[in-house]
Amino acid sequence: MIDFEEELKKYEPAIEVEQAEADIKARDLTDLTDLIFNMTAQNNVTK
Amino acid sequence: MQCFMCGADVGDSKVCYNCGADILLYKQIIYTSYVFYNQGLEKARVKDLSGAIESLKSAIQYYKYNTRARNLLGLCYYQTGELVRALNEWVLSKNLQEDNPDADRYLAEIENAPGLLSKINSTIKKYNQAIEYCKAGSRDLASIQLKKVISQNPNFVKAHQLLALLYIQEHKYADARKILSQAAKIDSNNTTTIRYIHEVKEQLKEQNTGRRRKKNDTVTFADGNDTVIMSENSFRSMLDNSRSSFMNIVLGLILGLLICFFLVVPTVRDNVKDGNTDTVLALNEELAEANTNNDNLQSEIDELKASLSAFDDKQDVATSYDNLFAAQNYYNEGDTATASEYIQLVTKEVLGEQGQAAYDSLYGQLSPAIIQGYYDDGNNFYTEENYESAIINFKNVVDVDENYNSGAALFLLGDCYRLTDQNDLALECFEKVVELYPSNKWGRQAKVYIAADDTQLDAKEVGE
Repeated sequence: MIDFEEELKKYEPAIEVEQAEADIKARDLTDLTDLIFNMTAQNNVTK
Repeated sequence: MQCFMCGADVGDSKVCYNCGADILLYKQIIYTSYVFYNQGLEKARVKDLSGAIESLKSAIQYYKYNTRARNLLGLCYYQTGELVRALNEWVLSKNLQEDNPDADRYLAEIENAPGLLSKINSTIKKYNQAIEYCKAGSRDLASIQLKKVISQNPNFVKAHQLLALLYIQEHKYADARKILSQAAKIDSNNTTTIRYIHEVKEQLKEQNTGRRRKKNDTVTFADGNDTVIMSENSFRSMLDNSRSSFMNIVLGLILGLLICFFLVVPTVRDNVKDGNTDTVLALNEELAEANTNNDNLQSEIDELKASLSAFDDKQDVATSYDNLFAAQNYYNEGDTATASEYIQLVTKEVLGEQGQAAYDSLYGQLSPAIIQGYYDDGNNFYTEENYESAIINFKNVVDVDENYNSGAALFLLGDCYRLTDQNDLALECFEKVVELYPSNKWGRQAKVYIAADDTQLDAKEVGE
């Protein structure tokens, strides 16, 4: 049996056009290659 | 290939000999990203948009410069009705890779569709408002908003799911199933949709195989945008009221027809009769007027005829004098036959005193020849059995002289009457013949006819 209130919590407001710019700016674009780059850079520094 | 750390050319080596960076790991990450992209593409092709979105998200988390994955992710968002998310992905894709024709094309299409962005944004606002209504407990308002959202943005999967959730909460499982099937057509493998469908199926199964329906079960039907919910008893009573209304309408129609038949129709008939009487009177008046006109015209015709006859008489004066002079001239020349013909063409009445005197004088001199001509003509017609013409000629002779040719003309006139079945006139002629000439052959024959008027006598035997 579905719990309506619990289920309702899963629904979040969709992004409106006015919020698009803010959403793009807030986006964390870090990917795995960035992590490797950072890790490699740190290793090189410690060496 | 260049090293992601120092930019040195590493070729196919697994490690950068310049800075010691792990090139193999870097390559594996990029390959993994493309593997996820391929998965996402496969899922998108079979309309598993949720699965595709997850795979494509993974692809760009591994390698953010995988712009093909990002573009496809935008398309998947667009397909599920989330246009702003799609736009965000395409804008980011364009920023991460300047030369990006796919992202350019998608953005251009959105820009070139007039009103699309504002329309979609309006549906997103309504969706957000519906969520607020739900959280505030105003489910009816939320349902209305979500129906509007779905009508304007039919691909908005989350709106479908939320509306289905509301229906499930209100135990409208059939409606929920309908909405969920629409959502499943857009995104076939969405876990939320599938979960709701299972729930709905279970509930419907329980309803169908479970307890008997109670009499006061609710009945639901759509009235425009509103859904009307009534208990079954109320619904039945409403139908009963509808039946009684229908019966009232039928009774009203019957009553109206009876009133029409007994009240309106006689009045109309009377009006028609009155109208007919008026018409007859009007026609009579017209007829009387026409008769009067006819009489007037007839009198005019008579007057005109009288005028015409007077004119003819005037015309006849000159002709008559001409004929009189011609007759006189022919008589003077000794041609009595021609003179007789001309004298008969003269109209004595139109002549003056002198003319009449001259006419009488000449006619007296020509009368024996004229009478002889009539007698001869009568005999010819008699012989030819043209009794009508014979009667005219013999009558001219008898009018001048009854004793002509010892009663022969009178007898032959009577015989013509006899042969034309004018027995009274015939008997009158025969009696005169017997009276004037009792002993000659005409008198004797006349006696025979008088004694037995059925005796037939051959005309040839008598005619001369």
